[in-house]
Amino acid sequence: MAEITQAVTDLVDQFAKLPGIGKKSAERLTYHILHVHKSEALALAEAIRNVKENVRYCKSCYNLAEQELCGLCRDPGRQQDVICVVEQPRDLMALEQTGMYRGLYHVLLGRIAPLEGIGPDQLTIDALVNRVRAGGVEEVIMATNPTVEGDGTALYISSLLAETPVKITRLARGITSGSVLEYANKEMLSDALTGRQTF
Amino acid sequence: MSAENATAIVLRTVEFSETSLVVTLMTREFGKVGALAKGARRLKGPFESALDLLALCRIVFLRKSSESLDLVTEAKLLRRFRVKKGNLGGLYGGYYVAELLDAMTDDYDAHPELFDLADQTLAALADGETASKHVLRFELGLLRILGLLPSLEQCADCGDEVPAAGSVAFGHLDGGVLCAKCRVGKQQVASVHAGVLRTMTQLADSDDRVWRRLQIDKRTRGQLRGLMNQYMAHVLGRKPRLQPYLTWLERQ
Ligand SMILES: [Zn+2]
Ligand SMILES: [Zn+2]
Repeated sequence: MAEITQAVTDLVDQFAKLPGIGKKSAERLTYHILHVHKSEALALAEAIRNVKENVRYCKSCYNLAEQELCGLCRDPGRQQDVICVVEQPRDLMALEQTGMYRGLYHVLLGRIAPLEGIGPDQLTIDALVNRVRAGGVEEVIMATNPTVEGDGTALYISSLLAETPVKITRLARGITSGSVLEYANKEMLSDALTGRQTF
Repeated sequence: MSAENATAIVLRTVEFSETSLVVTLMTREFGKVGALAKGARRLKGPFESALDLLALCRIVFLRKSSESLDLVTEAKLLRRFRVKKGNLGGLYGGYYVAELLDAMTDDYDAHPELFDLADQTLAALADGETASKHVLRFELGLLRILGLLPSLEQCADCGDEVPAAGSVAFGHLDGGVLCAKCRVGKQQVASVHAGVLRTMTQLADSDDRVWRRLQIDKRTRGQLRGLMNQYMAHVLGRKPRLQPYLTWLERQ
């Protein structure tokens, strides 16, 4: 029995490490896994393994991808001359769910946060500037979070792109300042996209 | 556990959970406070996204007597910190103000004068006023209020008057200017123009009228920035994180 108990304890511990999962929830999830069909439980394990082994960052836009380029960058139906700049892949997902945007993206993988020791060099800003300099881009939409650091990041990038002829816009202020993009609802994001203004 | 009201500037926010933040606040009434704000990352609720960096707010918080973090229960935005287009100097100046306040003050050690100086500086930076001058004024005001202002007229070692002409020796380790006798053999001594020291004295003055009138030429500003970078690093015991960004203050 001791060994079984150890295995159960291990799973509870693993669940408890997940964000937003306390000890109680971790125990509930563990009992759920113990009771479901073996194939269902192993599908979860396999999905986790698959994500960790096959998902990487897109070589062009730094979205999550399973090949060199992500699905969006490979899609010929996407408008090639607009790039929407976001902080994280989850912001990209939120914008995609609106179904309002047909262009490409660039994921910064963070924001400039000097107080936390995060500078422009730790993000994918150079790659973005190179994409724009390579030509074919008409508009860059800044969709960083409407926080001091998100706005500051957009401000920094627009100062780098100032010498290029590209048009720079910012999501409209439908989204409450100080909040984060991923918590905005579909309608708010749609409005913000439609009403974007020159930065 | 008692509920307190305060006016606060947000110095730092760290995501604690999907919906909560741990915030460091500089309050006018109580000094620096570290607190948990449950639900602060939600769009709606008692925080209304007010707890963003450098924002000025009215807050209600529960003061915990034990080791645990205080609890912010309400925050109402008075002024958001937002610089105008292209003003990265103002933005980095604002971050620097937050870094110094956080690093150089202790929890529950109130300095209303320092709070007002920070508030005034942030308002001026967001407004697009000359960032370099306002940041220097903030640093020197902060040093004066905290009793860390270097000696600018008397020798930091022997107390003799140091003639304010030509080049003057400034000992970072000694905490101020040095006379010709005392500078011999001292480490980390910079040579500073007497005009720079006069400007420092004026910038540190508690009377607003003294420094507001001040016109600082580019060369003096450059020398003063260099001196302050070294001095602040010495006082903090490390180079401030924002120091590399301060070159933007001149590029406004
Ligand atoms: Zn891609
Ligand atoms: Zn002396």
